[in-house]
Amino acid sequence: METDPYKLLDKWLKTKKFNVIGRGMERTDALDKVLGRAKYVEDYFSDGMLFGSLVKSEQSHALIQHIDISGVEHLSDSCSVFTAEDIPGTNEVGYTIPDQPLLAAKKVRFHGEPIALVVAEDPDLAKEGTELVKIRYKPLKSVFDPLEAIDSKIRVHEEQGSNIVLKTHSSKGNIVEGFSKSDVLVKHTYRTHYQDHAYLETEGAVAFPASNGVRVIGSIQYPHLAQQITARVLGIGTDQVEVVQAVVGGAFGGKDDMGPLLCAQAALIAFKLGKPAMVTYSREDSMIAHCKRDPAVVEYKSGATRDGKLSAIEARIIFDSGAYANRGPFTLWRATMHASGPYEVPNARVEGYLVYTNKVFQGSFRGFGNPPVQFAVESQMDELAEKLGMDPLEFRLKNILRKGSRTLTNQLLEDSVGIGEALSKAKEKSNWKEKRTEYRKASGDKVKGIGVACGWHGISTSQGVPDWSNALIKIDREGKVAAYTGITEIGQGTHTGHVQVVSEVLGIPTDLIKIEGGTTAAPDTGATHASRGMSVGGIGLILAAEKLKQKMEKTAARLLACTSSQVRFGRGLVFSAKSPERSIRWNDLIEECYKEKIELSAEGYFGLPKGKFDGKKGQGFAYPTFSYIVNVAEVEVDLRTGMTKVLRIWPALASGKIINPVQVEGQVEGAIAQGLGYALMEEIALKDGVVLNPNFTDYLIPTTFDMPEIEKPIYVEDLFRYGPFGAKGVGEMSLIPTPSAISNAVYHATGSRIRELPATPEKLYWTIKSAAESRTKQRKEGTSP
Amino acid sequence: MKEGKVLVRFRLNGKPVETFTKPNDTLLNLLRRNLGITSVKRGCEVGECGACTVLLDGNPVVSCLILAPTVEGKEITTIEGISKEGELHPLQQAFIKAGAVQCGFCTPGMILTAKALLDKNPNPSLREIKEAIQGNLCRCTGYTKIIQAIQLASKEIKSSCISD
Ligand code: FES
Ligand code: FES
Repeated sequence: METDPYKLLDKWLKTKKFNVIGRGMERTDALDKVLGRAKYVEDYFSDGMLFGSLVKSEQSHALIQHIDISGVEHLSDSCSVFTAEDIPGTNEVGYTIPDQPLLAAKKVRFHGEPIALVVAEDPDLAKEGTELVKIRYKPLKSVFDPLEAIDSKIRVHEEQGSNIVLKTHSSKGNIVEGFSKSDVLVKHTYRTHYQDHAYLETEGAVAFPASNGVRVIGSIQYPHLAQQITARVLGIGTDQVEVVQAVVGGAFGGKDDMGPLLCAQAALIAFKLGKPAMVTYSREDSMIAHCKRDPAVVEYKSGATRDGKLSAIEARIIFDSGAYANRGPFTLWRATMHASGPYEVPNARVEGYLVYTNKVFQGSFRGFGNPPVQFAVESQMDELAEKLGMDPLEFRLKNILRKGSRTLTNQLLEDSVGIGEALSKAKEKSNWKEKRTEYRKASGDKVKGIGVACGWHGISTSQGVPDWSNALIKIDREGKVAAYTGITEIGQGTHTGHVQVVSEVLGIPTDLIKIEGGTTAAPDTGATHASRGMSVGGIGLILAAEKLKQKMEKTAARLLACTSSQVRFGRGLVFSAKSPERSIRWNDLIEECYKEKIELSAEGYFGLPKGKFDGKKGQGFAYPTFSYIVNVAEVEVDLRTGMTKVLRIWPALASGKIINPVQVEGQVEGAIAQGLGYALMEEIALKDGVVLNPNFTDYLIPTTFDMPEIEKPIYVEDLFRYGPFGAKGVGEMSLIPTPSAISNAVYHATGSRIRELPATPEKLYWTIKSAAESRTKQRKEGTSP
Repeated sequence: MKEGKVLVRFRLNGKPVETFTKPNDTLLNLLRRNLGITSVKRGCEVGECGACTVLLDGNPVVSCLILAPTVEGKEITTIEGISKEGELHPLQQAFIKAGAVQCGFCTPGMILTAKALLDKNPNPSLREIKEAIQGNLCRCTGYTKIIQAIQLASKEIKSSCISD
């Protein structure tokens, strides 16, 4: 009987033929969703429930001198107001650094910061009440620009010596030597901006008083984190808080941060007033007050030799943290350790700074720190290639990470590095060579271009944070299987993938399996982030299912008159490897096990091995494995308007085993849409820290006409030894290189490069115009051939 | 209960409804809060996202911009009203089959908008499909599979018409 988890995972890694793995199984939740029966947080609305509405700061940086709630008390007897003073436990919800209150107490640090909740029996009344809360502020000077904030005397957090929250660092080799050997050098500064998650469902939670505490249903990504934070705010034990996820209307990382805060807000009301309470954000609340993708400034220098090899890179990454540290220490760390791109580079120095400003705080968002830095990397790669007179795709191929390569942090990649192959295949499929030559010759008002960009993303948590998988599986007397995991279903389809995993291992039909996910009733499985839901989350399921089979083997062997090691599970039957025609039905075996008093539940646990990391040098083991992605993009730019139309994208993934190709395509297509929005149109307009466009009329996200044709992805199944069947993560991947693939294609089309996203028509128009003017000028002065 | 409220009568998914509403309440709130039709989703409340789409006399409208009393005498269809006798509408089947559902928050509105299109134009071009659902935002799918699902349903409907 094999119990070693490594050997069990290895057995499945080497398996070649599958029943359900690799099939485009329909989603288990699709039926409820097309019938409109799926229950999202707000659908728990009921009479007698209380509703909380948010009072937000009207100042970017100020002391709160007085909060006058008398207006609300006059509005209706049933109305009440909750402020920091009403919090029975600790008013502290910072993710790693304890710098963030649930409701601002003495000071506000960004415009839109939550200060109070107005509670009423009617949601409209609660909303009306928010207008009647009068707050007297003593304004303080604000700092909005992260570069200014580095040396500013204005302190976002007065108790701290500086606005620099954290510095990161990675260095390798000798960059002075590296640059001196370089034949070409490229040095530029890149800027990226806030991106709003714009999930169609805004943030929300509903809480019910329970006999010993509260029960919360939330739009969340990590039930156990929501439980912890809620318990802390209420000043009760985690055992007194139960958290369950509702059906989630989109999350993309944002509800990893916001979910727990909303759970705590709703729980606060329910706990204190002893009635069910719901808090949901309006779209405006959401866009003003919820965390966003970190704006970044990336100063990047890179050099290469004539033979097309990268010789050195130097990068300084400044992440605008906004008012609180939240996920910044992790997004910045990830950005720093990925700052080379998926390329070999012998000499490197990368420094990162996370800086407080008086603006809305940053948070998790698909790609997690990686998109800004890969935008810089991939723009640089194109420019180096151009200076060398090389094709940009060929230049990448010369430097791409391969099996046996060492990463920026000097981590040895022993296996699972399929990006080189993905890049070559994308080149063929997109007809790269012909298009690169053909489009150059075109003239007229509309010009076409084709560009490429690569991306990589470490699977599992950053900074060596321990990572594990955990799952519990129970089989009931009818043979139905319930699998408990803390991993949440946030629209990405992971629970369907989990069903496939369990079905494959137990050899039973998928409709016998139910995933009880996203609940604190399941073992803590960590968060559904870092592309770990399917990959890391699936490991525990395999191990639990294997344990269950072992529990049943003896009984099966007896019934089949064979030895335990000859027992096989498949197609809903249990049979003997010796004489496969002899079989028993799954249900009969279960019944027999119940009779024999064999307890049919098992937990599967796996601690992900992680290596050593030297924080001083920023060298060593960064992630257990990496997923890789290539996007080739074809665009058409209208030179008269600066309008970019993305025509087609060829994605190629090296993400290990593909468990469900239809769901993976869905992730690829959705991530490309978000990357396209980030590249071309999505922009939070801020003036003195105030969000000017908290709506979908002024904050544009892609609609049908913005979307390109997306080719079927190329899959290079570069198996990851600890992933379930070799799977790595997929969900975040396609967003990462989309902005740079588009921008490189725009450059190919127009000869103008955008280094500050988004590349709106207006911005591109002026860039093209000024490039043309400077070319004419150079020609006149005879400085250019 | 009736204080300051007005009576409104209309047909909801083929059945007559009589209810009281605040005169300034939206159809979205009336459906969700008073009538418990939670398939109609709140995404923005200002007509920008399409999640709250219902069919008003067969035409897609955003229910967050319609004052509840104005639906007097009209026919409202929500996603509950499009599957007949427990049989899924071809669009619902196609959305499942094509993988057009992710978080599902846009799904009811998207399907209703698509239904209005196919009812009028059973054989829409790609452009017509894109145009029809342009006002329905989806943040998850990038629309690719949604468009495929509508094409699939259109084929399905045509072939079942022929066989009838
Ligand atoms: S909620 Fe009506 S259009 Fe968004
Ligand atoms: S499926 Fe999530 S918004 Fe469309």
